[in-house]
Amino acid sequence: MNQSTELQAGDVGEEEMPSLDTALQTVVGWQGVRCVLPPDWNVAGFSMERESGYLRIDAPSDSSLTVQIRWTDAGAPDVKTPYHVLAKRVRKLLRRPEPKQAQIDLKANLDKFLKEIAKQSKKSKEKLDAHSKPERVEREDGKRRSINFSWSGAGKGQGKIWHCQVCNRVLVAQVVGMGKDQNAIAAIASRLFQSLEDHTEDGFDLWALYDLQVGIPDGFRLESQKLLSGYLHLAFQRGAERIVVDRWGLANITLKKFTVAEWFANHAQVNLRSLQKREETLANGHNITRFSGKLSVLSRLVAIRQARFSLRGVPTRFEGGVWHCPESNKIYSVQIWRQTRAEKIWEEVLSRCVCH
Amino acid sequence: MRVPLKWKLYTAVGRYLPFLKIKPPEVDRKAAMTLRPGRNSLLTWEAQESGKTLLKVPVNLQSGRVKKRLAQWMKVPNERTVELDEVGAYVWELCDGKHTVEQIVQLTAGAYKMNRREAEVSVTMFLQMLHERNFIGFYKRTAKKARKG
Ligand SMILES: [Zn+2]
Ligand SMILES: [Zn+2]
Repeated sequence: MNQSTELQAGDVGEEEMPSLDTALQTVVGWQGVRCVLPPDWNVAGFSMERESGYLRIDAPSDSSLTVQIRWTDAGAPDVKTPYHVLAKRVRKLLRRPEPKQAQIDLKANLDKFLKEIAKQSKKSKEKLDAHSKPERVEREDGKRRSINFSWSGAGKGQGKIWHCQVCNRVLVAQVVGMGKDQNAIAAIASRLFQSLEDHTEDGFDLWALYDLQVGIPDGFRLESQKLLSGYLHLAFQRGAERIVVDRWGLANITLKKFTVAEWFANHAQVNLRSLQKREETLANGHNITRFSGKLSVLSRLVAIRQARFSLRGVPTRFEGGVWHCPESNKIYSVQIWRQTRAEKIWEEVLSRCVCH
Repeated sequence: MRVPLKWKLYTAVGRYLPFLKIKPPEVDRKAAMTLRPGRNSLLTWEAQESGKTLLKVPVNLQSGRVKKRLAQWMKVPNERTVELDEVGAYVWELCDGKHTVEQIVQLTAGAYKMNRREAEVSVTMFLQMLHERNFIGFYKRTAKKARKG
């Protein structure tokens, strides 16, 4: 767990090298939002939706600090009538631009947010005392407008609200703690806002929680998840194409009974017997057992049904693989149902899957 | 044992709390993590080669007086066994009244390379299960001073 050499950017000076080592920091990624926090901070709440959602990340149990992030897609209409959906489709079809939106009123959004906090404070019979800084433009490209704020009432909070022109998200993030945590809140807030991003630059969303880290092409949407102690499962869908990432803990115990390939055969969502099997080595040195081949007509139909009868991107090929990471005592598997032309997707996802 | 990681810990640990008579939600996770689980002295156990542990539980551990009498009269075996898996056995060994819940979480996370939250959730749920069966009790301070509850 203490080695992070493979994960470090090769061309940065040694001292500035950003490390993804979990002993030094926690990387969190969810629905395009990502940030870096101190070790042992963990996701404690999240929403499944992408357009508007939230994420809560808690400090280890010896602290009461928590990070809350909320976002909404400023482009999404408040009411989703069939007319709105249809109009958007027609505009896309006719290649007409989306109607220009009025500039997002950040201050109004912030006031609304602080009102909610005031309500919570009132419940615990505390008066809310909130302060905000003037709005400013951030980043070199000037594509983010933001307001910093802080409050004290039932606890203390320090945060920031912003609108990003690139992804059109309005995001509000804050670090919350008890009154006595003032300094710790400030320290965490500074770390949070140095790293917090609301969209990806390279076309791959980082999905990272509980030591799992994987990059998934940003056209894929999270379709289902299981986050249990000892077993993590994330499934993504793009039309009828599908990516499934599984991670099992306590590999040392599992491997007393099964080989890695047997374990995968028991859990894979396709029949592996009809696929080509080969052994390969990953860039991080682990041996991976790979299965690939054409999907049967039946499997394709299953994929279409899973995609709620979407005929977009009907997969024709399956790529799957399983490996044991002794460093983290985990078994990982990735399964991809892809279109013929999405040849690179296996390499792209695997190279972004960090196991130790 | 697979437990949802979204589970709020204070809820999980909070269920021990009536035992301590501390009111939730004032009791944060922090307080719950300082408790020291100790094994019930009526239990014996046997570590097996497979890494598992067999607990020998006196049958009358949980039952009431009537049930106990009935069991004696019907000559029901006065002991049953409960099997703990490898991780369970590891945690069981640490329930010595000296280690705090926090220390057990840390040790288990280290020994099995578990993520902190995974360890926290599964260890606390496991301890809760042991407690519900009267296999362990929780000491509030050090083992010497504490009174078993
Ligand atoms: Zn953005
Ligand atoms: Zn690894």
